[in-house]
Order: sequence, then structure tokens, then C-alpha cells
Amino acid sequence: MEELGKIHQLIVPLFGHNMVFNLEVILMTWIVIAILIVFGVATTRGKGMLPGSLQVVGELFVGQLYDLTEDALDREMAKTYAPLIFALFLFLFLGNWIGMVPHLEEPTKDLNTPLSLGLMGFVIAHYAGIKSKGFKAYAKEYFQPIFFMMPLNVIGELAKIVSISFRLFGNIMGGSIIILVVSHLTWSIVFPPFLNAFFGLFVGAIQAFVFTMLTVVYISVQVK
Amino acid sequence: MAYDIQTWVNLAAFIGGGLAMGFGAIGAAIGEGYTAAQANTAIARNNEHAGEIFKSMLVGQAIAESASIFALVVAMILLFTNFAAQSYITIAAVMGAGLCMGLGAIGSGIGSGFPAGEACVGVARQPAMSGRLTTNMLIGSAVCQTPSIFALVTSFILLFSDFSANPASPTWAAILGAGLAAGLSAIGSGIGGGVVAKASCEGIARQPSAATPVTNIMLLGQAITQTPAILGLLVAFILIFRGYPASEFLGPPMALLAAGLCMGFGAIGPGIGEGIAASGGVKWVARNERVIGDITRSMLVGMAVAESTAIYSMVIALVLIFVV
Repeated sequence: MEELGKIHQLIVPLFGHNMVFNLEVILMTWIVIAILIVFGVATTRGKGMLPGSLQVVGELFVGQLYDLTEDALDREMAKTYAPLIFALFLFLFLGNWIGMVPHLEEPTKDLNTPLSLGLMGFVIAHYAGIKSKGFKAYAKEYFQPIFFMMPLNVIGELAKIVSISFRLFGNIMGGSIIILVVSHLTWSIVFPPFLNAFFGLFVGAIQAFVFTMLTVVYISVQVK
Repeated sequence: MAYDIQTWVNLAAFIGGGLAMGFGAIGAAIGEGYTAAQANTAIARNNEHAGEIFKSMLVGQAIAESASIFALVVAMILLFTNFAAQSYITIAAVMGAGLCMGLGAIGSGIGSGFPAGEACVGVARQPAMSGRLTTNMLIGSAVCQTPSIFALVTSFILLFSDFSANPASPTWAAILGAGLAAGLSAIGSGIGGGVVAKASCEGIARQPSAATPVTNIMLLGQAITQTPAILGLLVAFILIFRGYPASEFLGPPMALLAAGLCMGFGAIGPGIGEGIAASGGVKWVARNERVIGDITRSMLVGMAVAESTAIYSMVIALVLIFVV
């Protein structure tokens, strides 16, 4: 119970400010990225018309997520944004599941990871909106329905970043707290596997999908 | 007889434990009752599949109960942990944690009963889809639990953070306000998420070929329905982690308490309203899949408008925290 909420930080003083690095989060993020790179290389290495078992898994992922992107955006846009959506989903999916392995922790449990991914999605969505509609039409939307609604529209847009990132953070953080506390209360008898299956596998997969889909929808709302 | 701080903290922990379990028992019971009622209807309609309907009723009720179990966990911790009394803030923290978890369990409990009940009726209507309906119900109910998980996170932060360095006077109100903001704001989003999931179970039973888009739209609708609860969580975090200068006046503490109440109550309506908006979208995607693009767009815009009142509450809460 004592390890609840404790993290290792590297604090580097720089021109009077302190730069803080959360070492565990960085390490876990790189572990996830390394596994994904290995997975990507393994699925595409011996590719051919007659797919091997790994290639089938890779094609399944790509096909499903490509269809999802194409439903929300149109065919041309999907070509640009599908790789991003694909990478985002796989990162979150593996990131939420990696906490199942002893001594490893979910990088998404730290608010910095979801917040930066949410900011990335926000910037990309608005970039896509300006690119497809032009700046004038884009800026005009903030003055709907009346001009003085502008500040509230801007806050509403910013609330999207908060909601998308806190949703992921809260679920993963909450799940890991529940697993820790209930395991502690029951002396780790019987309960932990079921809790891990529900909060780790099930909720982790759903939240990775929800985050990815919201990013797609935010892009499609800006584009249309 | 003179009471020291430790005695008051123990008393507050008992009150907090009682409040957590008392409020936490409300929602799940209502949701489970609704599920059982719908299961009876379903069994009466299609008696041949009574076994399957009974099974999906029990699974649905088990998931609906989880919000109450979170409240039970918090209540047990409050009753059996010895909280070291650092200052008067600890009294507010243990009471706030109990209130937060108790109130936060109401919405998710009621909400996750809806999809479970509708899944039972759906199995009676379309027995061939019972596997898909159960999966959809499980996903919908699990996402319904999110607001109560937010309340749980807040109450654990309140219980296990060290506030001894903060000045007692405005901080106690901020702590209590944070519990109220996170707890109250979870009510609306929990119920709203349940309404969305209910519509999707109904839609899949009516139109099995549209199962995948219906599940996707449901997840989208539920995710956006949670926004008011997330804004409540944000305000709670700001209230907890912002440092306050010591104050002898009653003004600043009341402003902080009011900020929590404002965000909490202000999020109930938008949560339910967005759920209703999304349930319309989900329902009609199942019936007319070809116009899914138009339905999704009007659903998203409608939800954004319904959400604006939650954003007004957040603005007022932030003004109360930072300006007043």
C-alpha cells in the first residue's frame, strides 16, 4: 500500500528552472515502443501472397483500423491519417496491457502520456481542419451562433483535450489502484487474476479503442 | 471531556464510511431491480430461452454491482485504517473521500442496469444474437463504470495524500469541495452512459447486421457522455493540488466549497442529457445504417450543445477558485 502514488523522478536544474523526468514512465514507454517495432518487423519480414500466421495478425490489425478510419474520414484522407491512427491504437493497446506483467507499469498511468497524446491529436485535428477548409472558414466556426460565444467555444475545444486524456488516465490509474488495494485487502488470494483480466485486459482494450476513435472523430469533425 | 484531533479524525472516518456505503447502495440496487424486471418480461415473452436470459441477467447484475463494491472497499478502508491525524484537514479528507465515493457510485449503478435489462429483452427477441448481445452489454456496462472509477481515484487521493504542510483554514473546504465535485458530477454521466448502452443493446437485437457500427457509435456516445464527469474530476484535482495562502476569513473557504458544489451539480444534467442525445443516435443507426454519417454528425453537435451548461459550471467553478 505504501507504493501508492510514488514515482521516481530525475530533477535537472536548468537556468533556474527544474526539469523533471519521470524515469519509470520513460522506460516503460520505450519498452512498449521496442516491442511494437519488433512486432512490426516480425509481421512484415517474410511477407508473401500466402501469408504466415504473424502476417495474418498484422493484416487483421491494419485492415480493421483502416476500415474504421475510412468510415469516419473519406478515402483520400484515410490514406494520410490511417498510419497515425494505427500507431496510436497499437501504442495505447500495448501500453494498457503491459501492466499485467510483474514489475512493469502502464505508461498511460501517468497523466503526462495521455495528455501529450491528446494534445497531439488536438493539434493534428486543427491542422487538418485549416488545411481542408482554409483559415477563414475555420476561424468563422468559433463565432457561431453569435460572435460573443467565442470564448466559450474556445473553452469547449480545450475541454476536449482534457476529457480525452483524463478519461484514459482515470481509467488506467483507477484500475491499477483497485487491483492494488483489493489484492492487499484479500492477501492476494483468488481475486487478483480476475481483477487483472477485467481492469487490465478488458477496460484497457476498450479505453485504447475509445481514445483512438475519439481522435479520428475530432479530425473528421474539423475536416467536414 | 476534551476531544483531540485524533478522536475527531476517527469520528469523521466512521461518518465517511457510513456515507460511502449508504449512498453507494442506492444506485446499484435500482439498476439491478430494473434488470430483473426486464428479465421477467423477456422470460414471459420467450420462455424457450429462459436459461440464457437468466444467465445474462445474472452477468449484467454482477457488473452493475461493481460500483457498490467500490463503495464497500472505500467504506472498509475508512473503518479499519488508522488515519494519523496531522491537522484538521484530515477530518475533511476522510469525510470528503466517503462522500465522493458514495455519491459517485449512484449514477454508474443505475446506468449499468439499463443495458443489462435491455440485453435480456434482446435475447428473447433475437436468440441467435445472444453472444453478441452479451459482449455488447459487457462493454457498455464496463464503460458505464468509468465515472465511479473517477470518484474512486479522487477518494483514494484524498485518503492517502499528505496535507499536513497546507494551512488548515481554506484547505479543508477545498478538500471537501473536491470530494463533492468528483462525486456529484459522476451521477449524471453514469446514468447517461447507461441510457446509451441500453439503446445499443436494443438496436443490435432489432438489426443484427448493424452490430459493429452500433457498438462503435455506442462507445463514442458513452465516451463523450463522460465529459461532464471528467470536468468534475479536473476541478477536483485543481482544488486538491492548488496551494492556498492561510486565511482567517470565511470567504475563501466558502468560495472553494461553492466551486465544488457548482461543478458537481452542474454536471448532473449535461451527463443525463448527452446520454439521451447519444441514445437517439445509436437507436437510429441500427434502424437506418445508410445515413450513419449524418446521424453521427448531428449527434455530436447536439451533445456538444448539451455539454455547454457543464462548461458554464466549470467556468464559474474556476472563477470561484482562482479569482474570488
